Amino acid sequence: MEKRRVVITGSGLTSSLGLDVGIFYDRLEAGNSAVRLMDGWSDKLKINRIAAPVVLPEGLEKTIPRAFRRSMGRMSIYSALAAEKALLSSGLTREYTASGRCACVIGSTMGSGESIMEASRIVILNDSENMPALQFFKCASHSAAFNTANFLGLTGCVLAPAAACASGLQAIGLGRDLIQSGAQDAAICGGAEEVTPEVTASFELMFAAARGFSGPPEYSSRPFAADRVGLVCGEGAGLVVLEEYEHAVRRGANIYGEIIGYATCGCGSHVSQSNHSSIVRCMDSAFRDAAIAPAQTDYINAHATATLHGDAEEAMAIREFFGSETPVSSLKGHIGHTLGASGAIELIASLEMMRRDRLLPTLNLEHVADDCAGLDHVRSVREQKISIFVKNCFAFGGINATLICRRV
Amino acid sequence: MTREEIIAAINSTFIEQFEISEDKLTPDKQIFNDLGLDSLDIVDLMVGLQRRFGISLRENEEIRKVVTLGDVYEFFVRLEAKRNKPKT
Repeated sequence: MEKRRVVITGSGLTSSLGLDVGIFYDRLEAGNSAVRLMDGWSDKLKINRIAAPVVLPEGLEKTIPRAFRRSMGRMSIYSALAAEKALLSSGLTREYTASGRCACVIGSTMGSGESIMEASRIVILNDSENMPALQFFKCASHSAAFNTANFLGLTGCVLAPAAACASGLQAIGLGRDLIQSGAQDAAICGGAEEVTPEVTASFELMFAAARGFSGPPEYSSRPFAADRVGLVCGEGAGLVVLEEYEHAVRRGANIYGEIIGYATCGCGSHVSQSNHSSIVRCMDSAFRDAAIAPAQTDYINAHATATLHGDAEEAMAIREFFGSETPVSSLKGHIGHTLGASGAIELIASLEMMRRDRLLPTLNLEHVADDCAGLDHVRSVREQKISIFVKNCFAFGGINATLICRRV
Repeated sequence: MTREEIIAAINSTFIEQFEISEDKLTPDKQIFNDLGLDSLDIVDLMVGLQRRFGISLRENEEIRKVVTLGDVYEFFVRLEAKRNKPKT
């Protein structure tokens, strides 16, 4: 049986560089970085107090009715706001989301970190009697997915893949599978994440977070660079609307791109470090799924978080699989590592690059590291038509994900 | 606390926690049907009132019987009267 084609017909985001896809893209292209000193984090914390936070205009979250907002932690609010915009841009209505034919698949590393810490403090202080009734709903791993689905009145399949930094891309791949198989006709998919000092501290413990960089915060996230010092945590939500191709054409929807290939796999060996051979295997599976050759790729949006090990492994895998002539860049210098949201937010940026025929560079990449060399690193904005691009994500747990998109 | 102070404290809880405008807070309003709260909100209402009045309500049978906002007022007015009753 012929597979059903799946296209992207809408997108929305809540990002540290803006709440509108166009503004977000313009700030990326202008070379802005959202990484800053986190004044709200106690200076008693023995961590590098930098991150790329979302700043919501006052009162915006209250546009979500209290009945829905009461069970939302920060990440779910980001997700709901992004979903509303994604749905609006797709032209699908809330009547359609209530039809049972539209899924909601949203991944994140975990539930709301801030809410989990708050719940822990209440229990540790032996004050459980004052635990808010809705606290659990903010902490649950599928918090962003069910909160967003309820907010949209969505009655189809609701799923929440949790695969750390690959969660958002896995969610989009899973949505693709649901539509391709005929189980659903549309899906609102992506990832959401919130940044907390506890998450940053966890990365620091493993020597994965940026520490020891002496310059201003906005220069501290340096993917592929010789002087990279580790990742900087970011936050936000990115959601796309996926739709069966004929369904989209029938209603005259704008088509931003087609998902032609997807694969996800484990490295089978290490809990925190994926390796280049499993990354190659993942990319190879995605290209087999797409039934195209790697040489047809016009652009690779890398995972590259600026960790010493991860960037080198990904660079090695790209060299081995694509050679040295396919343009590559990472957006982590602009927005930090938004963890479970990164796959979706960066996919949206890549779709916008494809629409505008422009490649965005890796920020803060003055000197390419020897172990990341041998690639066509995009170092400045480049005018170039993109017909096919690849989005990579790699996660703790040794999980890889690759998605391939084509212009329609 | 006077009766007026008790009513003002309860109203503040409804305004702050449930974002209900003050003009809707009249004694005849049913908490579920008129003010739009549900069973999960009632748990949070109790938490809010516990904090405000410094008492534990979880095991209190009387508070579970309230239907209207007026019932909540009267519950706390009675409670305050009991607290202030001179010991014999």
